[in-house]
Amino acid sequence: MLIDTHREEVDRILAKYPADQKRSAAMPLLYLAQSAYGHITPQAMEEVGGLIGVSSTDVAGLVGFYSLYYDRQAGKRRVQICTDFPCALRGAETFAAALCQKLGVRLGETTPDGEWTVEAVMCLAACDKAPMFQVQDADGIHYHESAGPDQPLTVDQALDVLANYTSAGKGG
Amino acid sequence: MADNVTLTIDGARVTVPKGTLIVDAAKRLGNDIPVFCYHPKLQPVGMCRMCLVEVGRVQRDRASGQVIVDENGQPRVVMAPKLETACTTPVEEGMVVIGASGRVKEARDDILEFLLTSHPLDCPVCDKGGECPLQNLTIAHGPGQSRFIFEEKFRLAKQLPLGELIYLDRERCIQCARCIRFQNDIVDDRVLSFYERGRHLEIITCSEPGFDSKFSGNTTDICPVGALTTTDFRFEARPWEMNMAASICPHCPVGCNLTLNTRREARSGGQMVIKRVMPRQNEQVNEIWVCDKGRFGHHYASSSDRLTRPLVRRDGKLLEAAWEEALELAAGQLKAAGAGLAGLAGGRLSNEDLYNFRQVVTGLGGSAALNTRMGGAEQTQQVGVGLGTNFAEMGPGTAILVVASDLEEEAPIWWLRVKQAAERGATLIVANGRPTKTDRAARYVIRYAYGQEVATVLGMLVTGSSEAAEALARAENSVILFGREGLDFAGSTALAQACANLLIATNHYGRPNNGLVGVWPDANTQGAWDMGLPARGQAVLPVGATASWIVAADPVGDGEISAEALRAAGFVVVQELFLTPTAQAADVVLPAASWVEREGTFTNGERRVQRFYPAITMKGRPDFQIAAEIGARAGLSVSSHAAQIMLAIAENVPAYAGLTYQKLTEVVKQWPEVGGRDLYYGGASYTNRQGLGVQVPSAAERGADITAGKLAAPPPPARNGLTLVPVTVLYDRSTTFVRSQVMHPYVPRPYVELNTADAARLDIQDGDTVTVEAAGVRVTLTARVDGRAPEGVALMPADLGPAVPAVAGPATIQKG
Ligand code: SF4
Ligand code: SF4
Ligand code: FES
Ligand code: FES
Repeated sequence: MLIDTHREEVDRILAKYPADQKRSAAMPLLYLAQSAYGHITPQAMEEVGGLIGVSSTDVAGLVGFYSLYYDRQAGKRRVQICTDFPCALRGAETFAAALCQKLGVRLGETTPDGEWTVEAVMCLAACDKAPMFQVQDADGIHYHESAGPDQPLTVDQALDVLANYTSAGKGG
Repeated sequence: MADNVTLTIDGARVTVPKGTLIVDAAKRLGNDIPVFCYHPKLQPVGMCRMCLVEVGRVQRDRASGQVIVDENGQPRVVMAPKLETACTTPVEEGMVVIGASGRVKEARDDILEFLLTSHPLDCPVCDKGGECPLQNLTIAHGPGQSRFIFEEKFRLAKQLPLGELIYLDRERCIQCARCIRFQNDIVDDRVLSFYERGRHLEIITCSEPGFDSKFSGNTTDICPVGALTTTDFRFEARPWEMNMAASICPHCPVGCNLTLNTRREARSGGQMVIKRVMPRQNEQVNEIWVCDKGRFGHHYASSSDRLTRPLVRRDGKLLEAAWEEALELAAGQLKAAGAGLAGLAGGRLSNEDLYNFRQVVTGLGGSAALNTRMGGAEQTQQVGVGLGTNFAEMGPGTAILVVASDLEEEAPIWWLRVKQAAERGATLIVANGRPTKTDRAARYVIRYAYGQEVATVLGMLVTGSSEAAEALARAENSVILFGREGLDFAGSTALAQACANLLIATNHYGRPNNGLVGVWPDANTQGAWDMGLPARGQAVLPVGATASWIVAADPVGDGEISAEALRAAGFVVVQELFLTPTAQAADVVLPAASWVEREGTFTNGERRVQRFYPAITMKGRPDFQIAAEIGARAGLSVSSHAAQIMLAIAENVPAYAGLTYQKLTEVVKQWPEVGGRDLYYGGASYTNRQGLGVQVPSAAERGADITAGKLAAPPPPARNGLTLVPVTVLYDRSTTFVRSQVMHPYVPRPYVELNTADAARLDIQDGDTVTVEAAGVRVTLTARVDGRAPEGVALMPADLGPAVPAVAGPATIQKG
């Protein structure tokens, strides 16, 4: 239980919000649960719900909505390619397929070395820099965008970016 | 009027209240703007974009705010450059709305085509087919041919169970969130949510059990596609092959209006059978909802263990007999008993049954009584809620007190209605010995020690005794709903009197939205009292009984009398649907028809008389008819036609004066419009064409002198050790409901609920087997320790099998 293993953090997070608006602590608590458990388990959703008086179904709704959270164990880092509508118009789907091919995985899968999990996600609010992707690792979130409409990000550039993470041990 | 707005929709002028949404204004004109996510009972969200229209607004001068007029002196209307959603846009004075244009048609066609890119259109195997908004709108707007490659459609495994009652087909979901919003906003059971985004978005439930809500079935009515279907009706029939019969739910005092969909089918031996139960709109009673008990609790009518032939005891055994023989025997014995005849009837009978029963029993010189553990109907007859009372109209200025009742478990739809009244601004006061769901919507929660119910209410009579008492006293309108939690007959009668006194003292009776409501144990408890059946309190039979006639009651099964004691009191005639323990003790058993096989009326807790109709092939005979037949053989003449009996009731029961079956079938146009051909607007619940019922006046409204009754506050209960409190659960093992197999996963095993501290003291863990001993009761059952019982209190649900004590009182609980 988070409340046993991370009591201090839990209390600190809860203290930030007025007592009658505990539900506002859902996001940071989920983040804490994710780092504690590696991913967000059904039990974690229930625990977080219990801490803030929200049904576990409502907590799950947040987990499902935000690409920040993952509900299953995966690789060390996540490549999250936006394939939402504006990005798709700029070739994001082809981009995603090509990147997957280079990494030897299908969307949602993890590379055999356990380094990368590739995912398609919904809009990351960088539609003007499509196609684009973000990398989530222990350090946080890193955006990698096209330089502009006439300079779309290429798969090779993307591979360089990824190589940089593994070689530099960035966030590793 | 300044509060009204006049606008033009597709050339037709309409005047509607300010704040009305375009979609609703159009509906009032009979102009059906297609919607998916909008529902007139839910807040608009503008998610699906199906309702796009062209909107023109009157131009105003920016500086002066004056309306700009054109050369003809007419206000200048400028059309907005983009289409707008009719479901989120409120009307404005002079607004011009155009739905019938090429531009609008094209936009709607596009939205529909877009929705279909992720929808399987498997209408031929979909339960919704034939009454599906998406199907209808696809025919109106859909492309003749799909531009999408089938393989690229979103595919997911079909039939994902959300709990035991509802199936989800994720491919069919069009993400309108009607189901989620219903659960969150109308019911406050937050057990459905969206998961993921975009095409991958799906409905999930994480509750334990899944989709943990007593109102889940309603989501299948308002889901605009076949994504949510019930296990009960799944693949059972097509909407167009079923007949409709109007009915009233027999399970609780709310009296929800139902439509029974029936069909004659080979599988059932060529009999008419009920395929499903649907809500029928009555905005004053159940709006367009029913609870899952009402929707899925009908199976007892078709249960294979129904009694169909009379039984007569021969050589100690109950053997089948001809009607004539059984009736002769019963009539002869009952007549012979004369003053020794004790009649006992249950509150699930109709007014007609109860009236005839009483006529015959008293005609033979006997005494007839109602089998109930709850009193207080004399008080509701006096100061019951006034004519025209409607929870939907309660808001600011109204106070509602709920005392000794767990509304969601005892009268589910009243929980929804009371909650919504509170959300609109009514002051809800909840008084109980433990927390219940009703507390969530309450402004004031009063917690008393069991045994202090009457004292608590009497305390509110003292001016300024509490904020809650002040709020109730000062409110323009006040309604009190009283229940029977922890109380026996005498206790609930006293509580009703205390509540009546409070209403009388604060002058809250005899007017609409004022007065007393009993949260009765049965659908027609109020009617039974009105038909002149007094209750005998705790005693099942009066002293000196020499024969008994028991109808729709099971005092033996309920542990109120032993079979031996019953038989010792002479000849026993039982009229029943099933061979209950009481029927097994009888000398003559007469098979009764169930409520869906015959006519009749129930009087609900708001004292609304409502009519139900025969829907399926009859088994047995209607109780009123059996009573008439016994009467006839004993030389008494009472009618055996329901409508005629109602005329007799109207003549002899003052409150029912003037009632006729015709009056009960009167309807007026209701808002919002549901059912009909335009399914996408209100969902699949039925339009009410068979009667909204008639509320009967309280004695106060009939000019009677109303005075407060004498009542002393009882001494505070001695509190040492545990108090065992009998409570009500909706899903119980009562004679009728237990026969709905589909509900069995939700009917709990007998249990007693303990507070954590008490459990620790007694060294009892959640799930342990324990033995409970209290006033005449000794049972072994499962302990629950989940923090819902207050300290010092153990809660034991009634009607789960073991008999519970009649009243809250001391108990000992031991492990093992
Ligand atoms: S399941 Fe039905 S009601 Fe719920 S979001 Fe999907 S389409 Fe709408
Ligand atoms: S609320 Fe009561 S009357 Fe309505 S459906 Fe449920 S059990 Fe029947
Ligand atoms: S659609 Fe890709 S960032 Fe917005
Ligand atoms: S957006 Fe108006 S009905 Fe859905």
